[in-house]
Amino acid sequence: MNIKAILAVVLLIAAVAIGVTSFRKSVTPYISFTEARRASGLVQVNGVLADKNYVLKRDEQFLEFKLKDSKNEVLPVVYRGVIPGNFDQAVSIVAIGHYQQDHFEAEQLLVKCPSKYQALAEKEARSS
Amino acid sequence: MILRGLLLVWIAICIVLAFVWAPLVPVLESTTRVLYFHIPSAWVTVLALGWSMVASLLYLRTRNMAFDDHAATAAELGLLFCICATVSGAVWAKAMWGAYWNWDPRETSIFFLLLIYVAYMALRSAIDEPVRRARLSAIYSAIAFVSVPFLMFVVPRIYFSLHPDPLINTRGKVDMDPRIRIIFYGMLLGFTALFFWLLRLRVRLLRVERRRAEAAPALEEARA
Repeated sequence: MNIKAILAVVLLIAAVAIGVTSFRKSVTPYISFTEARRASGLVQVNGVLADKNYVLKRDEQFLEFKLKDSKNEVLPVVYRGVIPGNFDQAVSIVAIGHYQQDHFEAEQLLVKCPSKYQALAEKEARSS
Repeated sequence: MILRGLLLVWIAICIVLAFVWAPLVPVLESTTRVLYFHIPSAWVTVLALGWSMVASLLYLRTRNMAFDDHAATAAELGLLFCICATVSGAVWAKAMWGAYWNWDPRETSIFFLLLIYVAYMALRSAIDEPVRRARLSAIYSAIAFVSVPFLMFVVPRIYFSLHPDPLINTRGKVDMDPRIRIIFYGMLLGFTALFFWLLRLRVRLLRVERRRAEAAPALEEARA
C-alpha cells in the first residue's frame, strides 16, 4: 500500500474514533438523577417505581411517585396530566421535565411495557 | 407470474391471520400487531443494506456494473424499509409510550441509519459518470454497513431503552406465544420475498436502461 492509502485509512480510523466517543454520550437522552437535580432546561430521567405507595388521582390528573434508578437512588416525581393507562404494570418509567426544589416536575411520562409476547389466556391457564 | 401471485396470497393470509387468529398480549393489546410489520421491516433493512455491502465489495473486485445495480437498488430498498420501520415504530411509540419521538437510543440509532443512507443516495445523485459513481458509492456502502450491526444490535443491548427488549433473548430463544410466532415468521418470510422481488425488478430495469444507453450510439449510426 502506498503512503496515501495508509494516511487515508489512519484518518478514517481517527474520524470514526472521534465519532464513536462523542456518539456514546449523546446516543442516550436519559441522565442520572444527580445530573437532573443540577440541570436547567427539559431533561429525561428513567427508573423503576421505587415502591407501591404512589398517589394516583386519575380524575384530577395528578400522580405522585418515587423513581429508583440502577444505582438505587430515589427521586420523587410529580406529574400533572393524562395518566398513562398501563402505569402500574410499567417495567420502567421515563419522566421528562425539570427538577424543582424538592421534587421532579414531570411534563411527560413514558412507560416501558413488559417484553412478553405471551397471550393472557395461556398465562392464566399455566398459573392455575 | 405464479410466484408473484403466491407472494400476494402469502402476505394477505398472514395479515388476515394476524387480525383474526393470532392472540393479543396483555398491556400491548391491539398494538401487538405492530410487531408483524415493524420487525420484518427492520429485518429487511439490515438484509438489504448487507446485500448492498456485499454487492459493493463484489463490484470493487470485478468492476462488473451488474453489482453496482445490485448495490444501489439494495441500498434504496434498505432505506425504504428503514423508513417503514421508523414510521411504524413512531406510531407505536405514541400509542404505547405516549410520545412519537423522544430521542430514545433506539430512535436515535435508526435516525442515524437513515442519515447514513440518505447520504448514500445524495452521493449517487451527485456523480453523473457511471463508473466513478459506481466506485465511490461502492466504497461508501461497504464502509457504511459497518455501522449497521452496531446501531441495530449493540446499542439496544448497552443502553437503557423504552423499546421492548431484543427478541432473541440472552438464552438464544424467542419467547413468543406459538400462534404469534407462526404469523411473525410468516411475515418475516413474506417481507424477505418482497424485498428480493423488488430487488430483481429494479435490477432488471437498470440493466435494460444501461443496455439501451450503450446501444444508443449504434442506433443513431444505423438511422443515419
